[in-house]
Amino acid sequence: MARIYQVPSHARGWLTLAIIATSLPQLIDGPWWQSLLLLLVLGWRALVDRQRLLLPGRVVRLALLLATVVATWQSFGRLHGPEAGTALITGLFALKYLELVGKRDAYVLIVLGYFVCATILLFHQGPLAALYVIGCLVLLTASLAGINYSDTHARGRQHLGVAAVMVLQALPLAAILFVLVPRVAPLWNMHLDSGQARTGMSDSMSPGQVSRLTESAELAFRVQFDGPAPPPSQRYWRGLTYGYFDGTTWRQARPPGWDERDTLYDGRGPAPDWYRALRNADQGPAWRYRVIMAPSQQRWLYALAVPFTDLDGLALARDLRLVADAPVTGSLGYRVRSVPAAGAGATLDGAERTLMLGLPEQGNERARALAADWRRRYTDDRALVNAALGYFREQPFFYTLEPPPVAGDTVDRFLFDTRRGFCEHYASSFTFLMRAAGIPARVVAGYQGGESNGDYLQVRQYDAHAWSEVWLAGRWVRVDPTGAVAPDRIELGLRQAMRNRSADQGDGEGAAFGRLPVLFQLQQWADYVDFNWQKWVLGYRQEEQRDLLERLLGAVTPTRIALALLGAVLLVTSLLALLVLNRRRDQPARPLEREFRRLRQALGKRGLGLPEAVSAAGLEAAVARRWPAATAAAGHWRRYFEHLAYREDGDPPRAERLQLARRRRALIRALRG
Amino acid sequence: MQALDKALAQVGSVVLGKPEQLKLALACLLAGGHLLIEDLPGMGKTTLAHALARVFRLDYRRVQFTSDMLPADILGVSLFDPESGQFSLREGPVFSQLLLADEINRATPKTQGALLEAMEERQVTLDGLTRPLPSPFFVVATQNPVTQAGTFVLPESQLDRFLMRISLGYPAPEVELQLLAGGDLREAVRELRPVIEPAGLVKLVAHVGKVRASRDLLDYVQRLLEATRADDRFSAGLSPRAGLGLLRAARAWALIHNRDYVLPEDVQAVWPSVAEHRLQAREGGQVAALTQSLLQTVPVVRA
Repeated sequence: MARIYQVPSHARGWLTLAIIATSLPQLIDGPWWQSLLLLLVLGWRALVDRQRLLLPGRVVRLALLLATVVATWQSFGRLHGPEAGTALITGLFALKYLELVGKRDAYVLIVLGYFVCATILLFHQGPLAALYVIGCLVLLTASLAGINYSDTHARGRQHLGVAAVMVLQALPLAAILFVLVPRVAPLWNMHLDSGQARTGMSDSMSPGQVSRLTESAELAFRVQFDGPAPPPSQRYWRGLTYGYFDGTTWRQARPPGWDERDTLYDGRGPAPDWYRALRNADQGPAWRYRVIMAPSQQRWLYALAVPFTDLDGLALARDLRLVADAPVTGSLGYRVRSVPAAGAGATLDGAERTLMLGLPEQGNERARALAADWRRRYTDDRALVNAALGYFREQPFFYTLEPPPVAGDTVDRFLFDTRRGFCEHYASSFTFLMRAAGIPARVVAGYQGGESNGDYLQVRQYDAHAWSEVWLAGRWVRVDPTGAVAPDRIELGLRQAMRNRSADQGDGEGAAFGRLPVLFQLQQWADYVDFNWQKWVLGYRQEEQRDLLERLLGAVTPTRIALALLGAVLLVTSLLALLVLNRRRDQPARPLEREFRRLRQALGKRGLGLPEAVSAAGLEAAVARRWPAATAAAGHWRRYFEHLAYREDGDPPRAERLQLARRRRALIRALRG
Repeated sequence: MQALDKALAQVGSVVLGKPEQLKLALACLLAGGHLLIEDLPGMGKTTLAHALARVFRLDYRRVQFTSDMLPADILGVSLFDPESGQFSLREGPVFSQLLLADEINRATPKTQGALLEAMEERQVTLDGLTRPLPSPFFVVATQNPVTQAGTFVLPESQLDRFLMRISLGYPAPEVELQLLAGGDLREAVRELRPVIEPAGLVKLVAHVGKVRASRDLLDYVQRLLEATRADDRFSAGLSPRAGLGLLRAARAWALIHNRDYVLPEDVQAVWPSVAEHRLQAREGGQVAALTQSLLQTVPVVRA
């Protein structure tokens, strides 16, 4: 029977801990039976170790394997795909532990563990997840160090030290590989099901929808400007436009008979007329910034008007907003150049114009009457818009997050009865009035404002906002009726506005926006870390790599990348080597020590291996045994060395050192003779 | 030093075939330390102690330790003298220049403690009266390593009071033949002639401190000490006191070899007898082999 190399007991603890730690994220995210399986395996193992039970036989193992496969199928309906595959591999990982007998099994188990570690990163990509995975790597490496340490009296703690040092030494290399190894676009698209509905804008707006968003402090996206950021009142992050109104709900409008190619341009193929017109107007000052979006499960992106970007997979829509080619499932970073003046290039004609004036056949008669009244009084569109804003400003409108529910003619009821509403009410009724007065108008949904944290802005769900755009003098002009009612919402942001309000009124409204200062500060720090992680690590894609390498290397050619890679790896490994060597020689060698080492090396070259701890006398004896002819010269050297090293104190003067060196050379010569 | 060679030769004539151990015992004496001999009965421990006392003409006492012994049996008692109306100290056997404490591990910890304290302090305090012990003052204690029944093993902290621990071991066959053929050893010991007077011995002890230990040598000693601390096969490393003892023993060893400076070989020669009894191996380790192995791994000259 083949000999079984046992797994040393001092390594078993680390192995068990590593298995638990690497499986833990999957146990939390995955189906319930995985925890059960791991508990069963660990319990069984514990009983085996106490000699209460035997390891399972072939039949039981086969049954467990089948059960795992069936359970995976039951939970996911398939065995492939990221979720099912991870569940399956984590289950098999646990089962392998039941098979562990010898070292060979332990190797398989540990390698499998490294793989399971990698699967954690499929689902979690934050800085904490990265730290956790590094911790798992240390545990796995500690087990690996442990099973290779044959001394039965080794203590488990030292394995952890070894593993930690190894992982720490590997980190700089990992960083270099991360930066320099060419990044390949994913060969397949992984559609990960995050399983939770995201809060955020939707493709339609009905009353109460945006105000629900404001209950969430969840991050929508972050923005970092090159240079100063625009003032809060200019930060209108456009996401969607709603052009179609059915009486209660605003929806995205698409002129009948147009397909997507007519409304989107992604930079491929010939540019459509509307895009060329925008490009022609592309002049004047621009905002340059980088947006990092949290997963939204939607295709639309947020930017200031009029956004241009050259990132692959992003397109500009005819209504001046950015659209991705697939729903944003992971965090997505993109650079934008927004040119406000380019809005002059927008066009509105024919079917689209009709669409932007469209209203339901009937309903909201009072609002229509008001609009008709304005139309009679003001021939100039601009004057009419101002009159409408004046109406909102002068009539007793209130801005509130908890408006009374309205039914039926929602616009009429709001404008003339309740007069308490949130941005969506104002935007919706304003747009209605404009259209009724014959001015093309649309509702824009997005975010407004954003809090500054360090050098970037955080835009959260409670910054969600809706406003209007009206067609004035050949371009879309932003009009925010909410600003007429509650200017501080626009100037200070919702959080501050609500805080002021509750301080004034002393009621509980907006209590959700006041947070403990310490907690808030901590949260901001955590967000800062997370932002930079998103920006530098997760956001490091092909384009960013190309930019960085171009800056570092001048030009990106395969040879240059290879040389840089080689150079950087060599540099780090030699630094590490120096560090290791230096630890052994914390003080510089003294002259006599150098002299001794020279002789030792010279003898070593001539084939005389000397023990590490050899003394001068031991060296002399070894020389005399090997080369009897050199006995006298060796004694000569040894006596002088001992004299200098042990009889005299302090480092010998130069003359004596030279004398010793002469005797050394005489000894070497004597070896040849 | 001729006198020392002569002394060694004298002792060697009654303790046959153990020149290394005799030299170690002598070095221990010259270093001013106490000696622990661990051996089976009948291996010549008493003969060695007695012979040492003879060649230095030391006042020699022997105490057989037993479990019913009290500290007073070693140190002495203070008695009331009705005539002078004062307490006076009746000196115990500890008031000698060379005390052989036979089978020290048979006594209770309390009695052991009393002796070991006197060894350390070189004085005895009884009822407030403090009396210095004679000078020179050496203790040679013996311990039987095999029979442990009814004994109180010396704790490590007490072992530290002995500069060296040696064992004599069985004689080589030819030495044993010589032993069997020879006459009465007791008689021979009594016939040994003093070579060095106690006063000369005190001078020699003082001289040991002047033997030169260079920076390179101190480095080596430090590396050895450090190695016992860094090596986790030992449960604890050597103390700085042990380090001082090691250096002192090495100096004495150099003096015996007629040198006024210490060589690494001197340190290596006394190393096992100084270090072994102060170190403890973690479970399963052989302390003797481990201690010896450090001499093979710690560089004598830093490379």
